[in-house]
Amino acid sequence: MKRTRGFAGLTILAAVLSCGIVTRAQAPKDNDHTLQAMRDEMARSKTRLELKIPGTPQPQRPYYVEYRLLDLDVREVVGEFGALISTSHTRNRFMDVEARIGDYKLDSSNFISDDGFRGFIGPTGSVGIDRDYDSLRQDLWIATDQAFKEAVETYSRKQAYLSSLARQSDIDDFAKAAPLQLIEPLVTPDWSNRNWEQEARETSATLRAFPQIYESRVTYYLVYATEYLLTSEGTEIRTNRCFAAIESGMNTLADDGMQINHMYATYAPKPADLPSVDAVRKALNVTGTELMALRAAPPAQDYTGPVLFEARAAAPLLAQVLTPAINGARPPVSFTPVMEQLLTGLGGKSDWVGRMGARVLPPGVSLIDDPGAKESHGTALLGAYAVDDEGVRAEKIMIVDNGNAKELLMSRRPGPDSDISNGHGRSAFLNDAKPTMSNLFFKSTETLSPADLKKKFLDACRSEKLPYCLVVREMDNPSISLLHQDDFSELLASFGGGAGTGDRLPLIVYKIYPDDGREEMVRGARIIGLNTRMLRNLGGIGNDDFVYNYMQSQVSGFAGTALGAFGSAQSGLPASLIAPSLLFDDLEVRGARGEPKRLPLLPAPPMTAE
Amino acid sequence: MKISVRHFMNFILCFFGLLALLLPFAAIVTQAAPPPDTQVKKSPLLAALQAELERSMKTFKAQDPPAYYIGYTITDTQRADVSGSNGALLNSAEARNRWLEVSVRTGSYETDDTHKVGERTQTSASPGASVPLDDDAGVLRRAVWLETDMQYRAAAEALIKIKTGKEVKVDSVENRAPDFSHEQPHSFIGPQVSFTLDRNPWEEKVRAYTRTFRESAAIINSIVTFTAQAQNVFQVTSEGTQLQFGQIRYRLELFIQGKAPDGMDIDRYYNFDWVNPADAPDDKAVAAAQATMRKELEGLVVAPINEPSVGPALLTGRAAAVFFHEVFGHRAEGHRQKDAAEGQTFAKKVGEPILPSFLSIVDDTTMQKLGSEDLLGYYQFDDEGVPAQRVTLVDHGILKNFEMSRSPLVGFPTSNGHGRRQLGATPVSRQGNLIVESSKTLTNAQLRAKLIELIKAQGKPFGLLIDDIAGGFTFTGRGQPQAFQVLPLVVYKVFPDGRPDELVRGVDIVGTPLAALTKIVATGDTPEVFNGYCGAESGSVPVSAASPAILTSELEVQKKESSTDRPPILPPPAHDPAKTGGQQ
Repeated sequence: MKRTRGFAGLTILAAVLSCGIVTRAQAPKDNDHTLQAMRDEMARSKTRLELKIPGTPQPQRPYYVEYRLLDLDVREVVGEFGALISTSHTRNRFMDVEARIGDYKLDSSNFISDDGFRGFIGPTGSVGIDRDYDSLRQDLWIATDQAFKEAVETYSRKQAYLSSLARQSDIDDFAKAAPLQLIEPLVTPDWSNRNWEQEARETSATLRAFPQIYESRVTYYLVYATEYLLTSEGTEIRTNRCFAAIESGMNTLADDGMQINHMYATYAPKPADLPSVDAVRKALNVTGTELMALRAAPPAQDYTGPVLFEARAAAPLLAQVLTPAINGARPPVSFTPVMEQLLTGLGGKSDWVGRMGARVLPPGVSLIDDPGAKESHGTALLGAYAVDDEGVRAEKIMIVDNGNAKELLMSRRPGPDSDISNGHGRSAFLNDAKPTMSNLFFKSTETLSPADLKKKFLDACRSEKLPYCLVVREMDNPSISLLHQDDFSELLASFGGGAGTGDRLPLIVYKIYPDDGREEMVRGARIIGLNTRMLRNLGGIGNDDFVYNYMQSQVSGFAGTALGAFGSAQSGLPASLIAPSLLFDDLEVRGARGEPKRLPLLPAPPMTAE
Repeated sequence: MKISVRHFMNFILCFFGLLALLLPFAAIVTQAAPPPDTQVKKSPLLAALQAELERSMKTFKAQDPPAYYIGYTITDTQRADVSGSNGALLNSAEARNRWLEVSVRTGSYETDDTHKVGERTQTSASPGASVPLDDDAGVLRRAVWLETDMQYRAAAEALIKIKTGKEVKVDSVENRAPDFSHEQPHSFIGPQVSFTLDRNPWEEKVRAYTRTFRESAAIINSIVTFTAQAQNVFQVTSEGTQLQFGQIRYRLELFIQGKAPDGMDIDRYYNFDWVNPADAPDDKAVAAAQATMRKELEGLVVAPINEPSVGPALLTGRAAAVFFHEVFGHRAEGHRQKDAAEGQTFAKKVGEPILPSFLSIVDDTTMQKLGSEDLLGYYQFDDEGVPAQRVTLVDHGILKNFEMSRSPLVGFPTSNGHGRRQLGATPVSRQGNLIVESSKTLTNAQLRAKLIELIKAQGKPFGLLIDDIAGGFTFTGRGQPQAFQVLPLVVYKVFPDGRPDELVRGVDIVGTPLAALTKIVATGDTPEVFNGYCGAESGSVPVSAASPAILTSELEVQKKESSTDRPPILPPPAHDPAKTGGQQ
């Protein structure tokens, strides 16, 4: 089903302003010449940028030019066992210029080619932080020139490739969007009067109480960003984004050599909202205690049967499974089939595209993405925004209604079901904008209390005559729990094609014995085959909503895939998922695989408890 | 620039300068641990390292295979970076970090886990780890414990492989030298260093310097970077070495880019290095460098392309210094005489003439200055804890010695303090301060007269005057031609008939080292210093090269590879006659 919508040009002023307290009714006056420099260089590029190609009658001109600029003010403080590892405060500005050749129907975008234009400076890069006029014009000038030449070359390669195909896609390359102006006042970062270095020392010191923890990190990451967008269509945007994070990863080896990791993460809309030292210490103490319990727990065995995901685990599970499914944009045309395979392997192709009206979730379940929502059950939501990163006003979307697929999230890259953006083209740190959730609500009209859901779970267990069944209390996020890039690469390799077919990483898993209700923790379990199809029929849905604030990965190759939920503050896009406990009637769980490591020859050196 | 060295190809890429521009964004320390004080006081880090060293050595020397050497190094780096581009501040930050490196060797000095069998290259199990800025012995020892275990495991595995491999491979004569040299342990506790810097004046300077560059329509991009770095090293080894020493360096780099009408990229680069804050270049000195850079870039953009030619050439001191660094210095690095995969250009030439008898070359890392210029290759101890030394490499044309790390050669059993590395890499023998000395000197005017004499005698239409060299590529591997290629940036044609010199572009010097070095016929009388960062197997290290101008009877040049990217379509905004959009 295709649809079109008419937009009137509209101007929103200071509609959403979560970072600052200042709200003004009129366009602000300040010393920021960024937009003026963008406007003037854009005017020149629109009218005078052209390239005559020998043998063609008309010179090439860009039909669309886009300037994006990101002003990042970041503080990062890292502590380990009570000592400060590093502390930094950086401010940088990055630009990204895009030029498109052709027209909305067929242009130079959405094409992955084996080789392309390599300019000497490039259309992206770091630019001056003075908010001045002259240096930015100089930088935009070269970047525009490079982006335009890149587009000319890609366009010709794409045309050549398309001419070799039997049938070309009838989906447009670029959706039209009404121009939008939104100029928010500049915000002065409020780092609050808290001593972040001292907090990192004090919170990380909690883990000294666990001599068996080999390594740990507690990272405070505070971000204030100003984003600028100016397009040749007339869109002009300056918005503020901010968030604050505390992320901690820690590891140990079990006595049999299995490496065990654990993590803690909490996010807030701004630094002052981060939890206090006491609250973080308490949470880290729980995490440390759980890691020690995992270390002592027996390895998981292979298992098939009912699995209960408690709400704290169900929300991150849904973030992983649903991220690719709700993305309605077409994938890029690829010169090499490898890219296609790669995307499929990572679970990045939506199973829901082309299935509007079909039942994809249990009857009574709705899935709503609401970028305007600010809080849920008393918890502030991270994913809110007014205008997406392509300058399109954010819309609340009913993705699934009563179990049936209704409308997917769209950026300005059209897809089979829609050729217009609904304001979900999101990107972290100037990556390509991709349809991404903001605040995603999983709601059901038929719910059970946690006690009733557990009873149903244990009944199912008994009727299958299983000695025990598994309950998942927390999911892993390896981009936080793993402290070394090597470990992360090893993990990715272990997925093989599994990410696409539904390998999931639970972290805290218990056996529950239906006879007497006793619980035993197990370690190293991996769920396989849990894909979007498994969500069509659920054994039960709780009424205990959990608000999961997290970072969507925008790492190239991860975004829009099942690994998209493995993000961290440094490379992620703030998002929220609100969901209750979920009961699956029949899942396959595998026990630990792989060769264990040898234990260190020496015991850990002494470290006093605080 | 860190380059990866693949096992099938030994390739040195040496680009002076530019490095600071490529480093990731640094950070502003808002509130760190107090900076190390400047009194000579033993850091508590040494005691923590020593305690863990003793505990580790006791256990690991009793294993099979045994560890026979363990070394711990912590490098505490305080660094400030202030960069500007095209008239605006790009970033300004100060950061501090402490990096731990652990070296564990298994086997014996004779044969250990670093032994080369065939073409397999040795890689470290880990580049190291961040350790706390706070002097917390417990947390530090935990990091040391894990790194030591990991390094021991890798070294044990490597040694087992080597022992198996040795049975099926025949060792070359060169490879019969031991794997690790015996050295005297050293104890030295020097003062710790740090700087207190107000970045504001530098922020204004980098803005102003890059704003000046914008006045030229030919300069399409400019970057100026100021860097201050204080490094304190703490090292203990199982041989009994215990070191604490520090060093501060300041640097200002200027970089501009342009494009010739045919698409060739034109870069100009200049750097100032100093140690004493009072020696910082003033605005006048920087303005002079900027004027030269601008003039050269504007000249090069419109200069004709030089066709390949062979003929006499005069290299100014700075160009000659880089030429010697590339063509001679890299080949005199000891480990290149040992590795079976290396060309071993000079391995069997010790005691033989390789240069004209009026030339001598030393590598003296004990020199802090040459004349009034600070030398970047100065240090107290190399990265294997061996004191810096003056090494005579060539004495009156005769090859005498090599730059040696602790990897011995037959006939050269010990290090002469040239084992160097970038943080995280394994040290190999590298250059420090390469200084060319001449006993046959001419004045500048005499050298030029001699050049014209040579042009006439050879019946050539012109000779070349080479004024600046960016660095180059040197192939030292056995599988490649024993050739070098250096990249001159500013080259003039000199005509015998008295016409003015003509600036040309697109020149690469090519040749084979042994031949090139013997063609030198005379030198100037004033040594000039080139300070830079040199990248090779063990990463980027600070080096100096100094040489008087040299006149060579024959130099081969070829055409430089060029980019096909056209110059920008529109003129620079500040130089656009059609003012679209209001300038402010």
